[in-house]
Amino acid sequence: MRMNETEKELVEMVLSGHTEAFEPLVTPYRRPLLTLAYRLTRNREEALEVAQEALLRAFRSLARYDISRSFRNWLFQIAANEARDRFRKRTREKAALENAARDKPPSASPEAGRERREIRSDILRCLAVLSPREREVFVLRDLEELDIKETVRALGCSSISVRVNLSSARRKLREAIRNDFPHLEEGR
Amino acid sequence: MTCRKAKKLLPLFAGDDLRPRLTAAVRAHVDSCPACWKELAEYRESLSRLKAAAKAESVPDWSEGEWRALTARFRPAVPTTERLGFLAQPRWVAASVLGVFLGLAVLTMLFKDGDLGPRETSAAAEPSIVSLTLVSQETGLQVVWFLDKNFEWKGDKN
Repeated sequence: MRMNETEKELVEMVLSGHTEAFEPLVTPYRRPLLTLAYRLTRNREEALEVAQEALLRAFRSLARYDISRSFRNWLFQIAANEARDRFRKRTREKAALENAARDKPPSASPEAGRERREIRSDILRCLAVLSPREREVFVLRDLEELDIKETVRALGCSSISVRVNLSSARRKLREAIRNDFPHLEEGR
Repeated sequence: MTCRKAKKLLPLFAGDDLRPRLTAAVRAHVDSCPACWKELAEYRESLSRLKAAAKAESVPDWSEGEWRALTARFRPAVPTTERLGFLAQPRWVAASVLGVFLGLAVLTMLFKDGDLGPRETSAAAEPSIVSLTLVSQETGLQVVWFLDKNFEWKGDKN
């Protein structure tokens, strides 16, 4: 999906100082971007933060945008990077908290509770069986329908890594649907 | 191609994500192997169900307030010339504003002591310095003495 002429004009306007042109440029991706962030983070508030930060980063680094690429895919790349950064940060914080609380009796973490409250849809529950990398690859390739080349570019990894994770994700999801979500298999 | 190898490649083959060379090999195997063909059908079905469910599910959207707050950050700050744009209005507007401003300034100066009437001159107020003028009838020479309220001499003027 290449950039259309209107987008090209809007990008040029923003770069020439008419920053108000950024809003019409990103408005068509308002919801798709939040949806992507939601599927990657599985939490509405965090998805909102990811999408906001992705748009701000896109605004700040528009000069580095390659206009031969799809603008949508470029935005998705930024959002995926942001979601991954946040996931890593959260994992580090969680590890630090667990180290600090090692001597205390185990209890349900607020993080787990938060995820349980959020995971209402079948899609999100299915995605929960995947590792973060598998989830990123599956969401970008199969749900957002980027091709392998764009997925590789968006995730900044090799095509082998994308294919390995995609294969593993599809295998796990097929098992999950068969065992835990038979209504999806039956099309209900 | 063996079933074992084909099964490893089926997830990617189901989404047309294999390299062309391998695609041809897997297709040839699947066409001749009912078990692999069935598994391929399952992969395709699960993939298609997931995509359909993803399209049908309700996903969150921005509230208008959230979106407006974000997009406000992309708009340029109002430049000074625009903030003072009223100065570019027709001259009579600027003249009226200036007149009102000057009028207020004059009134403020006049009444800043809170005294609306003419100042009262106190009859009882004693001058701290008095002058006494002496004029010679013969020569017309005039001398002015200045005295304080205790009639102590403070100076003179010829």
